[in-house]
Amino acid sequence: MADPAGAPCVEVVDLHKRFGALEVLRGVSFAVDRGSVVSIIGASGSGKSTLLRCINYLEQPTSGEVRIDGEPIGIERRADGSERRRSMREIGRFRRDLGMVFQQFNLWPHLTVLGNVVEAPIRVRGLPRRQAMELARACLERVQLSEKSSEYPARLSGGQQQRVAIARALAMQPKVMLFDEATSSLDPELTGEVLEVMRGLAVDGTTMIVVTHEMGFAREVSDRVIFLHGGLIEEEGPPAQVFGTPRSERCRQFLAKLLH
Amino acid sequence: MSENLRQMLDLGLFWEYRSILLAGLAFNFYVFAASASAAIVLGFLAALARVNPLRPLRWLGAVHVETFRNAPDYVMLVWVHFVMPLLIGQAIGMRVTFAPFVSAVIALGLVYSGYLAETFRTGMQAVPRGQIEAARACGMGGVLVMRRIILPQAVRMMLPEAMNNFVSLFKATTIVSLITVPDLMYRVQMVTQQEMRPLPLYTGAALTYFVLIWAVAALARAGSERWRRKIWA
Amino acid sequence: MGNWERLVWNQRNVLLDGFLVTLEICAIAFAVAVAAGLGLALLRLYVRPLRWPAIMWIEYCRATPIYVQLMWVNYVWPEILGWPTTFYTAGWVALALQSSGYLAETFRTGIENIGRGQREAAYAVGMSPLLTFRRIILPQVLVTIAPSIVTQFTVIVKSSTLVSVITVQDLMFQSQRLVNVWFEPIEILTATAAIYILFIFAVSAAGKALADRLRLRYGLGT
Ligand SMILES: Nc1ncnc2c1ncn2[C@@H]1O[C@H](COP(=O)(O)OP(=O)(O)OP(=O)(O)O)[C@@H](O)[C@H]1O
Ligand SMILES: [Mg+2]
Repeated sequence: MADPAGAPCVEVVDLHKRFGALEVLRGVSFAVDRGSVVSIIGASGSGKSTLLRCINYLEQPTSGEVRIDGEPIGIERRADGSERRRSMREIGRFRRDLGMVFQQFNLWPHLTVLGNVVEAPIRVRGLPRRQAMELARACLERVQLSEKSSEYPARLSGGQQQRVAIARALAMQPKVMLFDEATSSLDPELTGEVLEVMRGLAVDGTTMIVVTHEMGFAREVSDRVIFLHGGLIEEEGPPAQVFGTPRSERCRQFLAKLLH
Repeated sequence: MSENLRQMLDLGLFWEYRSILLAGLAFNFYVFAASASAAIVLGFLAALARVNPLRPLRWLGAVHVETFRNAPDYVMLVWVHFVMPLLIGQAIGMRVTFAPFVSAVIALGLVYSGYLAETFRTGMQAVPRGQIEAARACGMGGVLVMRRIILPQAVRMMLPEAMNNFVSLFKATTIVSLITVPDLMYRVQMVTQQEMRPLPLYTGAALTYFVLIWAVAALARAGSERWRRKIWA
Repeated sequence: MGNWERLVWNQRNVLLDGFLVTLEICAIAFAVAVAAGLGLALLRLYVRPLRWPAIMWIEYCRATPIYVQLMWVNYVWPEILGWPTTFYTAGWVALALQSSGYLAETFRTGIENIGRGQREAAYAVGMSPLLTFRRIILPQVLVTIAPSIVTQFTVIVKSSTLVSVITVQDLMFQSQRLVNVWFEPIEILTATAAIYILFIFAVSAAGKALADRLRLRYGLGT
């Protein structure tokens, strides 16, 4: 019923999320077109992670909608206009289209590097083993880790682990990649290799939503930047505008603090 | 006294009756195998209930664990053998009795399902949340997450503790003689009544159990450690 | 409910007597086991010539089932050592024996986990080895292993039900005697089981509370 050609790849509509008395997201709306990169910046505690986690329903939004290619994840609209909450299983089907990379890598330590990457293609997408292996090898190639494929995660550096996590998400061939501060728990000398991989993805036309504290990266790679403050979008626009001539006083302060 | 000491160390009598006594030891293994299987299944279900988001289920799991983990083996054995058949009989309006072997398996299975449930739960909860979220983000459902991500790690982590539980269970099988399951201890008692020479018989039994349990426990410890090390270097 | 009143409530004095015997024999066994466990751990750690005998004794106590040990102490010891002379003594000796093995290992790991630096700092201010152990090492060990010691007490209570087999008149013994008088086991045995479970649950809960309190106060992990 939705028209995939016309609808944006990801659409967030009036998203609210509260934890008990704390309202973390207070009505966030934006859209991401296919092939574009959107960066989300903001102070610690402003709700960036929560927003990302609501997009793939790791957190259930309190209200509002997330649409992938025009189709809402959490509810189904029938032809007669009635609505129905989707089951976990159905939500799982949407999640295949949303690759997520976490700050803490979250690799599965009991599986090898290759095992981590082929697990979901085989078990979730149901690909034949051989085809999944080929796909996984290609993904590891993209993050330049082919030679580590039979190591266990514990033997890799942080930067390598994060690249495996990226390969694991890519192997689902998702429509969108979500990055939640992918470099924040890495030593400074290791962030470069991960950002390099992400830059490569952007150049290849991958649709990405990137939560980051790396302003240089956001400025260079994104098509649009969103500044989140207190659970609302405070400033939004092309990087040149948000970083160069921000309209919002708070955004200006935030950026000024980062430069010192 | 030195005569007695000689007698105690003279295990000839124990050796004379070896085939009868060893057949008794086999009963310890039967009881162990059956109650361990029951305890694993029940314990796993109770552990699942305890990590379930549904509050009533969690509560039920907690009651199961706290009841059986805190029940003395012997008390449970006597209760299952003498009370449980009566209760079932009252419920279905028929006379019911349990064979001693059945009572032994039910009682030990229940008690050790309590210990194992805690061991399982600790193992499952030791898997970091982030890994589970990563699996969910890949579109995995609850069953798949449990089977492919949580259990393989939980089993490795809880193995040493589970081995301790199983060793305790095997030790506990020695009390089934008290409800006349003909295990090694039961037969030692029978032979003692015939021969009137408890020294070599009870010493022999104690040494047999000691050597057996000590060796198995040491092997299990070494084996499970090595398997763990393979992954978490 | 009539049955409960007749068989359990009206017999409360008998059951209480039994429970007191249980408490008493467990307390004696526990005290002996803690002392013997500490002694064995020290032998194992610091007395070279007795290291191996201590290890073997500890392993023997840990790897032998309590019921087998009880029978062994009850039938074999008197013949060889002329002691214990009563069933009651045989009961607490067997209970203490088994727990001393476990507690020895608990004490040993506790002592070994205390860093070398602590000891050296004590020597540096002129404390003797004995004083260092008594004032610096032991207090810390006791704090870290207190929860395990409480757990061991619950193990003793569970095992103590077996002394009824050698006619020590504990709760289990009294309750089985009542069953043999009335031939109505449901209420009596269920009540007995409930008493044991609740008592052991309470001790475990107290142990957990103690562990939390100690962790908070001293910032120690357990
Ligand atoms: N599961 C939760 N339960 C309760 N409060 C939560 C939960 N998750 C997040 N919060 C709260 O929501 C607020 C926003 O958290 P969030 O992690 O989204 O911030 P963030 O912008 O990602 O910050 P950072 O830059 O530090 O990662 C915080 O105040 C946090 O304490
Ligand atoms: Mg965050």
